[in-house]
Amino acid sequence: MSTPLLQQVIDRSAPIDDASPADLDVNFGLLDEYSKREIRRAILTAVAVPGYQVPFGSREMPVARGWGSGGLQISLAVVGPDDVVKVIDQGDDEGVNAVNLRRLIVSSTGIPESTTPEDSTLIQTRHRIPEDPLDERHTLILQVPVPEPLRGVERDMRELARMHAEADYARMWVSLYEDKVRNGVITRTTGYPCLVHGRYVIATTPIPRWDVPRLHQSRFLSLFGAGREKRIYAVPPHTDVEPLTFEDVPFEVEITPGAQCRSCGSSESFLVEVPATAAEGGGHWVCSDSDWCRRNRQRQHPSNGVEP
Amino acid sequence: MNNDWALKVASLGKIHGITDLRALEDTGPDIGTAKSALTGSIVAAWDVGFEVAPGEALGVIGESGSGKSTVMRCIAGDQSSTAGEVYLRSVDNGRTNVLDLDPSSRRRLRVADLAVVYQDPAEGLRLNVTAGGNIAEALTAAGWRHFGRIRDRAAELLERTEVPLSRMDDLVGTFSGGMRQRVQLAKALANEPPVVLLDEPTTGLDASVAAGVLDLIRNLLEETGVAAVVVSHDFAVIEMLTTRCVVMNHGRIVEAGLTDRLLEDPHHPYSQRLVGAARA
Amino acid sequence: MSTHEHILSCRGLTKDFVLHTIDGRRVEALRGVDLDILPGEHVALAGSSGAGKSSLLKCIYRTYEPTSGSVVLRLRSGAEVDLPSLSDQEMAHLRGRDIGYVSQFLRAEPRRGPLDIVTRAGVSRGMDRATARDAAAVSLKRLNIEEKLWDVHASVLSGGEKQRINLAAGTISSPQLLLLDEPVSALDPANREAALELIGDLTSQGVAVLAVFHDIEAMERLASRIVLMRNGRVEMSGNPDLVLEVLTQGARV
Repeated sequence: MSTPLLQQVIDRSAPIDDASPADLDVNFGLLDEYSKREIRRAILTAVAVPGYQVPFGSREMPVARGWGSGGLQISLAVVGPDDVVKVIDQGDDEGVNAVNLRRLIVSSTGIPESTTPEDSTLIQTRHRIPEDPLDERHTLILQVPVPEPLRGVERDMRELARMHAEADYARMWVSLYEDKVRNGVITRTTGYPCLVHGRYVIATTPIPRWDVPRLHQSRFLSLFGAGREKRIYAVPPHTDVEPLTFEDVPFEVEITPGAQCRSCGSSESFLVEVPATAAEGGGHWVCSDSDWCRRNRQRQHPSNGVEP
Repeated sequence: MNNDWALKVASLGKIHGITDLRALEDTGPDIGTAKSALTGSIVAAWDVGFEVAPGEALGVIGESGSGKSTVMRCIAGDQSSTAGEVYLRSVDNGRTNVLDLDPSSRRRLRVADLAVVYQDPAEGLRLNVTAGGNIAEALTAAGWRHFGRIRDRAAELLERTEVPLSRMDDLVGTFSGGMRQRVQLAKALANEPPVVLLDEPTTGLDASVAAGVLDLIRNLLEETGVAAVVVSHDFAVIEMLTTRCVVMNHGRIVEAGLTDRLLEDPHHPYSQRLVGAARA
Repeated sequence: MSTHEHILSCRGLTKDFVLHTIDGRRVEALRGVDLDILPGEHVALAGSSGAGKSSLLKCIYRTYEPTSGSVVLRLRSGAEVDLPSLSDQEMAHLRGRDIGYVSQFLRAEPRRGPLDIVTRAGVSRGMDRATARDAAAVSLKRLNIEEKLWDVHASVLSGGEKQRINLAAGTISSPQLLLLDEPVSALDPANREAALELIGDLTSQGVAVLAVFHDIEAMERLASRIVLMRNGRVEMSGNPDLVLEVLTQGARV
């Protein structure tokens, strides 16, 4: 990882005695300084051992566990006064959960918000990576419901710990083998298991396969937070992230031939299907990343503002 | 002439309970018990030693509770041992006592250096995984990453152990006992380990099924040149599979010799009783 | 101890059984046997049952562990080894290659056909598979095992067929010394004839044979020397005619 980034995390780990700007009625970033330091230490460990799930003392947050509490704790622990925050839920800045989380971060820090990755530094996300290329300026914070990639093949915590410790992933391979035998293809779509830095297998949250290749040798730092499961793990910049797949079964991202976004016409972004309704008739496709879709439309019709 | 061993076991011992060596004095075949009255510990096995050459099968025979399975589990690493040395020619050319390895390195031996076939197939197989998937587990553990080649190898192994290929993609849990044992053999041989331990491989199977599995094991041992340790209470199994064997009683080896000699000219009182009972 | 021509040289061979299940009773099977065999010599052991004939064969082959005495075998390599002092592994290695043993019964075998059994016997003694298979076919044919039975599990065959398969397996390669323990006891006249011929050929190929037959006719026909045993000792050894005369006289008495 790049030195300035590590330095940035380290700097933030230093004690801050009076972090609250005068106009906030809570501590800067809501969390007390000791909680921030503990979370930052967990993050440092996670960055130092890419893909390793670091246990941390997950706090009670003003959102329920399972609603992004892990991502939120990371965001609040690393946010600084110079950051600009973007929060998305399944690619959408206007999802109810995204809006609430963003409001919480902004109101407890006073920092500006944005929907555009270009203007943002801290991007908290549920289940997507923005379509725009991200770089050294960005820290991507992913909300993780189930951090354990081996949960499907083993439930015993001690055995799971042993498997990770010994890099014994044969049973994960067996599950992929069985999937392929039973279904002809590897059907796993979201949260595809990946080997990080040639050592630990991670669950790539439930991001779609479409986003997985963008974690590989990325320019940005990705931090994964699971509040309910009390785990933090990381993919530092310039780190190998290889989807587990057989040599003769190439990893493929989701593409529906002929599908186009109904709003912007794109066939080069991750599209989601909107089911048919009685009012509108047959189903159609739209961009998952709503802000990217909006800007794509603007590029095509600069005069038109935002469509309803 | 035959210094060329694949597996060498020396002074292997396992005491359950407090490790107080005074327990050795009031246990064993002469005392007639494995449980020490003095310390309360059970001497499951003590001072067990033998060598097995490539292509050779050594029998370990004794009644239940004689310590034969303990010996096997201590060699396999399923159980910790109290004392002793175990060497594998494939590990550091036989210079490292594998009992001294850390648990992780020890477990890794099970990938390609040492395979175990258990009496209960559920111990060696995952019943909720297909026959091919069980073999794939052994192969992927050894670094196989090519789906087509894994399939081919699994099919080859199943064919060799006489499992119909039409059942390759069925869950092992749907298989009969004899068929499960064949899959277990296929999995054990997947990475061509130089040493295989077989623990009562046909016990619990119907007689005719057991005979078929026994035939298969005999063929595999002859054809692969693997060094095998066969643990059994059944002289018919030992006679069919091994050329040499050791007799265990109350945790100790009471006699060792060529298998036909042990059957026709047993020396130790316990061996004579055991053979007499088998012949009756 | 032995002169250089001898293939086998036994000196002072004894075998005691201690029966722990019957109050440690001691049974003396051999009480000091001296015996030399030359290359190509066919020595038949004669004597009443319990005289120690089979015990002697088994002590040489180490199916019984001799209590005392020496059994020196000259190997193919020319080296001489004392069989009782070999390790079990070394003895197992010599078996089949330098010293063969054909018992009355087929030993426990997996369910295999005759051709497979005999071929494997050859392979286990260092022959390559194709050669062993050819030799097995020749031998089975010679012993009148019908070709249609070659892939039938031996366990379902008759006693006489099993005995011939056993003989074919035991003689597929030529050991230095072949021990035969009633190898034709279950055969009808025609098959017995074929088996005796096969054994006779081995002797002419230079294989030393030490045999126990239940009938005098086989001894007369094959033996170059007869050793008469009584009570675990060699009572007499010499020209077949001479010994058989003593034997039959003994029977008449």
